[in-house]
Order: sequence, then structure tokens, then C-alpha cells
Amino acid sequence: MKNIDDIDEITRALARVEPGKPGGHASDAGARKLLVSIAAEQPGPSAIRLRPARRPAQRLALGLAGAGLLAVGIVVGPSLLKGSGTPSYAVTKEPDGVVYVQIRDFRDKAGLARRLKELNVPATVDYAPPGKWCQEPRGTSVQDIPRGLYSVPENIPGEEHSLGWQMRIDTKLFKPDQTFVWTISDHGTSTILMSGPVAPCVLVPDKSNEPKAGDKADYRLATTKGRSLAGFRVDEKTVGEVLPELKRRGLKVEYLIMAVAPDNPGGFGELRTQTEPVGDDWIVWEAEESILKPGLIRLLVTDKRFDRNPVYGGPRDNVVKE
Amino acid sequence: MGSEPARFESVYRETYGRITAYAVRRCHSPQDAADVVAETFAIAWRRMGEVPDGEQATLWLYGVARKVLANHYRVEVRRQALNVELDAEMADLYQAAPDSGVELTAIAQIFRALPDTDRELLSLVAWEGLDRQQIAAVLGMSRNAVRIRLHRARRRFARALAEAGVHFTSESRLTPAEGHL
Repeated sequence: MKNIDDIDEITRALARVEPGKPGGHASDAGARKLLVSIAAEQPGPSAIRLRPARRPAQRLALGLAGAGLLAVGIVVGPSLLKGSGTPSYAVTKEPDGVVYVQIRDFRDKAGLARRLKELNVPATVDYAPPGKWCQEPRGTSVQDIPRGLYSVPENIPGEEHSLGWQMRIDTKLFKPDQTFVWTISDHGTSTILMSGPVAPCVLVPDKSNEPKAGDKADYRLATTKGRSLAGFRVDEKTVGEVLPELKRRGLKVEYLIMAVAPDNPGGFGELRTQTEPVGDDWIVWEAEESILKPGLIRLLVTDKRFDRNPVYGGPRDNVVKE
Repeated sequence: MGSEPARFESVYRETYGRITAYAVRRCHSPQDAADVVAETFAIAWRRMGEVPDGEQATLWLYGVARKVLANHYRVEVRRQALNVELDAEMADLYQAAPDSGVELTAIAQIFRALPDTDRELLSLVAWEGLDRQQIAAVLGMSRNAVRIRLHRARRRFARALAEAGVHFTSESRLTPAEGHL
């Protein structure tokens, strides 16, 4: 057998660009043009949209509504929480400038906005009723979000079955002209950091995420009977384990990158959706199919494994009964 | 905290030569190479928060470029506007393609028939000049796994060459290599 040096030498000889030499130069015209075109793109993540975990009770309600949609997430409306004695929201500020916001009722936006202002959190809060969303874009998203400025919204401890969520905001990290733009609704929360003026919320029909009763959402669960991944469980498998089956069924794939709060309380944020591949070792928690584009599968993924499925707040079998 | 655009530009300038070389060495056409370069840096821009500092940035980008290369959906999602200059610059790099000459063509064919992982391991050593630790970072495997797989890859390549009756020593000085067999 040839020795190692020979093999490496032979391989070296095959290199189109000689080893040790650069390919292109960053100062070339095409390279400069590429740099400009990339930097003109919006970097992510500039927005996080929260989806609470699905739970058995909610699935029951889903079944009654006849809409087995994963994206619904919450079915129990905030009205059920009223009169329970808990305040609709709470905002507390620590001496170090860190603010904790807990929201239970999504409709008292004026009260919440006032409280945030008292605590020097530059924020606008809008409530979008079912089927509506604020017309976007409302301003310029901040591209350089300081690490730790805010946490992914998570369940309020001890109130896992309520709709409420809480998040942590470090007010020291805001820059002068920045505003936190929240849009809250019965099904999720959008959190976008913007700089400069922010347009008021003009409610328009929500075409993206709102699953209207009896109507169709853009995506639905793909792994149940009659759907494109029927008979194939993806939850808790690796991307590398799931992709061959998608390929075998002739399906295309995109990835929804999930953000999970540190203690994985159930539920997750949507960091972004992308078509470029993720690592084979990433974990798939569920698969959805696009209604508008048949044959397109969206895998809900994280870059590491968690102790329980964030989509369902536990095993899928507790929620989806086949 | 430095601004992300400034940091991205500095990473771009620092790594552009190596990332383009990486793509050109692995893509069959200049257009593919331009796509891989564009998509790799676009991903870096969108994930600037994850890009490590210093030399690690290059390894991180190699890892991304590798995934972009492996992604057959790439063509459908070409995000960058057509960049004629970039295509031309990549095409220039294809002019002096080395695998001309009978022996090198034969060797290149054998090389291309190796399993993907073998080829990538051998290439990262011979083309990008990475050591095991660096390869481990690019491929997301342990250093020991790199050592073992690299050993196997070299053995498989050597065996395939021997079976094809290709005898080759260093550079362009082709001489009988029986002494090594």
C-alpha cells in the first residue's frame, strides 16, 4: 500500500485551486458586489413568534372545532381566565434594570403599555383579534440585537395550563431610538425590536399564522392519517433519520428553527424558517405540511435534544391519539 | 459590542479567499461555486451571532459550505441576484484545472468514486491543509473519529488506485511506484 504522504500528495495534485492558494479575492468586483447584496438582506433573528405547547385538553377542543391544526396551539380563549382573581398582567423591575413581564389577558393593552412606560421599557403593545394581524412592516427591524436583551416568552411558573406567558427584558441594553413592538393575540405573540418610528397597528386579515375556525391555515400536521407523512413518526428523531423518508416520498423540506426557553417549559418560539439544510444531528419534534404548496414539508427542529418535546410539552402520544 | 455589519465585513474579507477556493475545488461548474459561496456567506450574515472569532470562523464557514454543497435544494432558493462578475471570477479559477493528463484524469475519476465522507476528509487534509482537530470542528465529529475515518479513507483510496493499476508518486513526476506496494 502507498504510504500516507503519497496519498495526500496524490490528493493535493487533484485540487482545482492549488492548496494554500486563495480562490477569489475579496477586493474583486464580483466579491464586493456579493458583500453588498448580502449585507442588504435582513439578518435574523429579528422576530420571534411564540407558540405554546399543545396539551391534551386543547386537543379535545380542537377536535370539537374540527380543525386539527398544530398551529392553533391555544384554543382556550383568554375569556376563560377572566374573573379568576389573577391580574391580567404584571410587570416588575429589579434594581439592575431587568424587567419581568407576565401577561395573562391579552386584551388590556392600554394598561400594559402604561405600566411598561412607567418602568422605562420602550414598547408598543397591540392586540390582534382572531383572524387579524397588524399590517407589516411597521418600521425598521433592528439587525444587531444584543444578546440577553430579551428572553423567549415562556409559560408562567405554576400556571402551565393557562395562556399566560412571561419574558425577561434587560432595559439597560436598549439603545436610544429602539422600541419593542409586541403584537399579542389569542394564538401567539410576536416580538420585534425596531429602531426609529414605528407605524401604528393597522389591522388587516392575517394570512400567515391565524387558523380561522373552519378555515384553513397555511400549515397543518403532516404525520397523521391521510396526510403526506401518514404512518411515519418524526418526533424526537434526528434530521438525518427523517430526510431519507421524505426523499422516498418525493417531498420537499424546509426547516422551522425553534427557540426553546432554557428550562423547556413547553411551547417554543419560531426563530426563522429556512430552506438551507441544518445538521443531520438536529432534532425533529414534529412535521407540518404546507397547504398552499403540496409536497412541501416543514420540519420543526432544534439544534440539540431536549428532555421532552417542546411542541407538545411532553410525549406526542399524550396529545395526538391515533 | 461591535456592530454586526462591520464584523461580517471583516469575516468576509478574512475568509473569502479560502471559502471560494473550497467551493471551486468541489463544484463542477463556476456557477455552482458562485452559488455555494453566495449562500454560505448569506447564511453567515443571518447567523452572525453564531460565527466564532478568529480562525474558528473559517472552520465554521467550511462547515456551512459543506452543508450548502450537500443541499440539492440550493438551486431552487438562489437568493442572490445574478452576479455576472462573480460568475466570471469563479470561471477564471477553472481555467487552470489540474486534472488534465491521462494519469491525473484516471486518478480524479477514482477519487470521485470514493464515498463522500472519504473524499471530504482527504480533501480537507490535502486541499485546505487542516489538521485533525480542525477537521473535527468542521465535520462536527470527535478528533478520534476523524483519525480513524481518515485512516480508512486513505486506505480505500490507495486500494482503489492499486486496483486500477495507477502508479503515481509526487507532483508531476510520474514514476513506477511498485516500491511502495
